[in-house]
Amino acid sequence: MSGPSEALERSIGRLLTAATYVAVTLIAIGTSLAVAAGISPLSGGPPLEPSTLPSRLLQLQPDGFLWLGLLAVIAAPIARVIAGGVAFARIGDRWMTGVAVAIVAVIAIAVATSVLGG
Amino acid sequence: MAIAALMMVGGVAAGLFGSLLGLGGGVLIVPLLTIGFGLDIRTAVGVSLVSVIMTSSAAAGVYLERHVANLRLGMSLELFTALGALIGGSVAFLVDERWLALLFAALLTYVAITMGRSALRTAGGPARDIAVEAVEADASMATVDDETPRDGVESATGSRIDLDGPGYRVRRMGVGVIGATGAGVVSALLGIGGGIIKVPLMHLVMGVPLRVATATSNLMVGITASASAVIYASRGGVDVFAAGPTAIGVFLGANLGSRLGHRVDLRILRWLFVAILLYTAYEMFQRGLA
Repeated sequence: MSGPSEALERSIGRLLTAATYVAVTLIAIGTSLAVAAGISPLSGGPPLEPSTLPSRLLQLQPDGFLWLGLLAVIAAPIARVIAGGVAFARIGDRWMTGVAVAIVAVIAIAVATSVLGG
Repeated sequence: MAIAALMMVGGVAAGLFGSLLGLGGGVLIVPLLTIGFGLDIRTAVGVSLVSVIMTSSAAAGVYLERHVANLRLGMSLELFTALGALIGGSVAFLVDERWLALLFAALLTYVAITMGRSALRTAGGPARDIAVEAVEADASMATVDDETPRDGVESATGSRIDLDGPGYRVRRMGVGVIGATGAGVVSALLGIGGGIIKVPLMHLVMGVPLRVATATSNLMVGITASASAVIYASRGGVDVFAAGPTAIGVFLGANLGSRLGHRVDLRILRWLFVAILLYTAYEMFQRGLA
């Protein structure tokens, strides 16, 4: 198969695996903090508010760790596409670079429409 | 504490049996959260999407390291699954929850029938992906034929784009694009990975070997579910307190399932699951009519 080298595929694979384990760790911390604080999983979690996320983390609030973990989960495949796009650009594959850019653009549209419409 | 533990155990069970039976997590997580814990279906779909991305990323990482997945084909198709997910994720907040429940009931019935047919044909054996079973169940519609002329994949400028892999050539990209978009819509509406659509599409229609199709589909699940998860997260469709224990449970269960897969006799398990899926479909159907 033409395209990025096997080493690159291996690197992208490792990136995905590492990002998943980071996300799992953050979610596990958030879940443990929630259990310790006696918060029921059925109590209805707070919505995502990126501006307050750093302060929630500093205050060791469970929702801060849970949201950061969930954002890491969502970001992992996007990071994989960006890494793939950069690699394809380096080897001069304009078609696949364009595909990667288009995928990121679709995600950006999803973010923009939800922020504006939400 | 007790509810969090129950939710995590439920997640482990969904991940474990999903992995053993090749169901993918979402098919089991959404009914677990709606019927078992009383969450509304849209919140359950949001939680399921997060769990599905997590298990997909872990598996896709391994597939890429082993060079099983076709990265170029996967990225080309996931542009359209992401588009479909963008549409589906937006539509999901406009559709009455009862329609979503009816759609899910139809999906569960289809999966139960596919698994039942497979259980009749095989006596136990190793765990296989339900999408693979669907491929074999619908083998009569197979169009993969080495004698068929390959029309290749052409760019807008007319030059051929190489999406092929070792020993096979990708064809009918146009049909693949339409199917991938549909898979993205369904994934976003129901919180599933969509492998049940993508694997037969790539194998039967596009001529991709089954093993590569399964790995590539798994790779695509992450970006597809991410596109809709972004919408669910920013519109309040993801409940973090419910997502935490469920996602951790599913992750642990899926890992356990991948290790136990070749040691478990699936004969009884398959029939038990056909019954559970049919019962769950009935419950979802009742919700849809409520």
